[in-house]
Amino acid sequence: MKLPRHRFLIGSIAGLIVAQRSGDLFSRALAQAPLPGAPATADERVLVLVNLQGGNDGLNTVVPYAMPQYYRYRPTIGVPQNDVLRLNDEVGFNPALKSLKAMFDKRQVAVIQGVGYPKPDHSHFRSQEIWQTADPDSYSSTGWLGRYLDAANVPSGELFEAVALSPVLPEVFGSRKIDVPAIDGNLRGYGLASDRRKGGAQEFRAMVDDERMPFSSPYLAKITEIEANAQKGAEELPKLIAGYKPQAQYPATNLGRSLALAAQMIGSKLGTRVIYVTHGSFDTHTYQKATQDRLLAQFSDAVSAFYADLAAHGNERRVLTMTFSEFGRRVAENASRGTDHGEAAPVFLIGGAVRGGVYERHPSLDDLDNGDITYTTDFRSVYATVVERWLGRPSSGIIAGNWTSIPAI
Amino acid sequence: MTLMLATTSAGFRPAGRFDAADALRPYRGGWDRRRAAHLLRRAGFGGTPAEIAAFTSLGMNAAVDRLIHFPDTSALPAAPELVDDRPRRAILAMMARLPQPAASPDPAQRAAAIKALGKAHFQNAVALMQWWLGRMIATSAPLQEKMVLFWHGHFTSAYQGKGITAADMLGQNQLFRRSALGNIRELTLAVSHDPAMLKYLDNRTNRKQHPNENYARELMELFTLGLDNYTESDVRQSARAFTGYTLDRDDRFVFNRRVHDDGIKTFLGRTGNFTGDDIVAIIFQQPAASRFFARKILEFYLYDDPEPQLVEDFAALLRSHDFELAPVMSALLRSNIFYSDRAYRALVKSPVEFIAGTYRLLSLPPDDVPLPVLGAMTRMGQRLFFPPNVKGWDGGAAWINSGTLLARENFAAGVCSNAQMMESVAWLPKEMLDPDAVTAAIVDAVLQGDISPAARARLQAYLDGGDVRGAVYLAMATPAYQLA
Repeated sequence: MKLPRHRFLIGSIAGLIVAQRSGDLFSRALAQAPLPGAPATADERVLVLVNLQGGNDGLNTVVPYAMPQYYRYRPTIGVPQNDVLRLNDEVGFNPALKSLKAMFDKRQVAVIQGVGYPKPDHSHFRSQEIWQTADPDSYSSTGWLGRYLDAANVPSGELFEAVALSPVLPEVFGSRKIDVPAIDGNLRGYGLASDRRKGGAQEFRAMVDDERMPFSSPYLAKITEIEANAQKGAEELPKLIAGYKPQAQYPATNLGRSLALAAQMIGSKLGTRVIYVTHGSFDTHTYQKATQDRLLAQFSDAVSAFYADLAAHGNERRVLTMTFSEFGRRVAENASRGTDHGEAAPVFLIGGAVRGGVYERHPSLDDLDNGDITYTTDFRSVYATVVERWLGRPSSGIIAGNWTSIPAI
Repeated sequence: MTLMLATTSAGFRPAGRFDAADALRPYRGGWDRRRAAHLLRRAGFGGTPAEIAAFTSLGMNAAVDRLIHFPDTSALPAAPELVDDRPRRAILAMMARLPQPAASPDPAQRAAAIKALGKAHFQNAVALMQWWLGRMIATSAPLQEKMVLFWHGHFTSAYQGKGITAADMLGQNQLFRRSALGNIRELTLAVSHDPAMLKYLDNRTNRKQHPNENYARELMELFTLGLDNYTESDVRQSARAFTGYTLDRDDRFVFNRRVHDDGIKTFLGRTGNFTGDDIVAIIFQQPAASRFFARKILEFYLYDDPEPQLVEDFAALLRSHDFELAPVMSALLRSNIFYSDRAYRALVKSPVEFIAGTYRLLSLPPDDVPLPVLGAMTRMGQRLFFPPNVKGWDGGAAWINSGTLLARENFAAGVCSNAQMMESVAWLPKEMLDPDAVTAAIVDAVLQGDISPAARARLQAYLDGGDVRGAVYLAMATPAYQLA
């Protein structure tokens, strides 16, 4: 099947002009067909979700260096024009994103500008919840990736189809059917020490297998199930990934270690479809520059190593990496050389199967809403794009509403 | 991992009938070891068989009195030894690219200073955690430390960035200890003047010309009222009222009138030239404040997702005592609902409760809790003095996942691998009697009998091999031991 080679003008306003309905049909048609150059089946594709926790300042990540108002609002923390790594005539990367710029130049990075949602909430927690549940209007108990996993009917017996490399299970994996293991960034501590003792594992199973207790507790069933499965998963994971040898030098940061493990799991063909990692904290109310530059450089270097490793194993086209953060930050800097909680910010889609470029319109700095930029791209259209064009499922039932998908994948 | 979760709703409210009229009335039912142990787990960090026996013979009222009226704990270490961790102006200046001070050190000196600061920070973090965990393990006033833990997770600050020193964190921790069962409104006022908080939520830089809303927002959203009980305008107005709540050069609270916005503010329907103290007073006049604290206390001490009527009744109790916590907690710990089957084992132990409780049960030394134990606490999902964000720890189901449960079992396996345990643990039979008696001792001490018949039989069979410490570990791996 010949696919429409419809490429929007990168970085131009024309990219926005898509009729809602035709765009939706277009994306649905695409979701049914194999992508050029991408693996034949959606089952082999992996989504890596990077949570830039704390509210990353979008304006100092993708800098609108051609807008004079930017420098007026940010007299001390604005990124100087000469330092900006230019993507086009309007915006460019923070210089801390040097290695990501190299990937952008190879057309492996799509920058979606101005991503947010209506009636923005300035609370970290509510806004994280909104981004993770994809539900800005009510309080959902399931996450958008949890709903994807439920819809995907993962065969039973799969242990690692989704993995959170974080100490606490994120809301994005809230699911009706699936318990996603949370592994804290690396494999230390993932496994039962007593298994090394003769008979320990067997006895352990007997201890946790039985629910007929002389008391009832709302947590009893959950603890019993997860204890037994954790033990099984921990027994199997190190064996399953032992054959993989990393082919890149990862930075010695938490994110570097998490992505190294992610590459190992992907390369070991465990059936993993979704991996969640975190990076932060970007909550830069004071002295923003030092903190944000360090975190952006760590992000950029870890992702660069990740794709080098994936490429060395022939996996770079199997893996889409997507960033998000609960919000961008206030346009004007505050008196502490930081920025307060704001609204829209860019999202990155990264990987060998991405159509690199700059998408959607940058929010205006002329017409601020109470000091904040107004979003130009609804976050659910980005999620719908990923669900339909990458994970290969209709987005209905996973992302509520009808969304125009973005031709960045 | 694919499995069918038995519970599909987000809440973990216990099953069974709820009798609203009866819930908070004084409990007059039977009093036994299981109920005494339940009280010790909830109002403290669990009891040894000897403590449970003592509480059993005291009876409920005397037992609750003993917990509520804190005994003298002045013999415990009052503070850890801390090293100087104040960032030098030169470092702050460099990080922000401010003009360097006149006597600017060269780059190598600056790098060395940053390294030294990192070392001091790590050393202090360990000292703070060891000191507080040590207090939880050794104290004769367990409810006091349990309340400090509650307040730490409620009025959160973290020893991380923003110039927060270990002394700031210690000061806040001591504030929580002084106010453990005191007046909640007065504590909220004290927190609004607390150096760690003023730094953590940036109010120290909240000035008339550039208001910083961080504290004003979280004060209402996470500390007192909850979402939907105020507007964005209330946030901006109260941020104006808190302008000038800052710190002097010695990091002590000061109200700097020169940067305070003394204009008229309209906040929650009231209009006036308010200060931050006025904001706190107005907040506590809202019925939502009593409901917010009622729910939070019930979720920490009773069970998850308490019924709206129970929250309402407990909130009324809080209001009737003008937010004095001691009489309110006293009533809760003597109530029907507290000793109901629905509340029994209905909470998940937090990692700190799991570790401190295990230390107490096994009579492990409270001084200098070793680094691997602090590492285990981190892998279980909790680091004292480092709550993950201003919301604190979610608790409940969030404590339970593959990684955290494995970390619990491995910690239990670690402490049970210590051969000295056989000498130091008073409740362990000193010689290998018949396996049935040893099984009974372990099941009583670790689980208060809360084990399935099949698992008990397996435990007894395992003891035929003579590995008593291994059997204690296996008892700690059972589901009941994860629950409070």
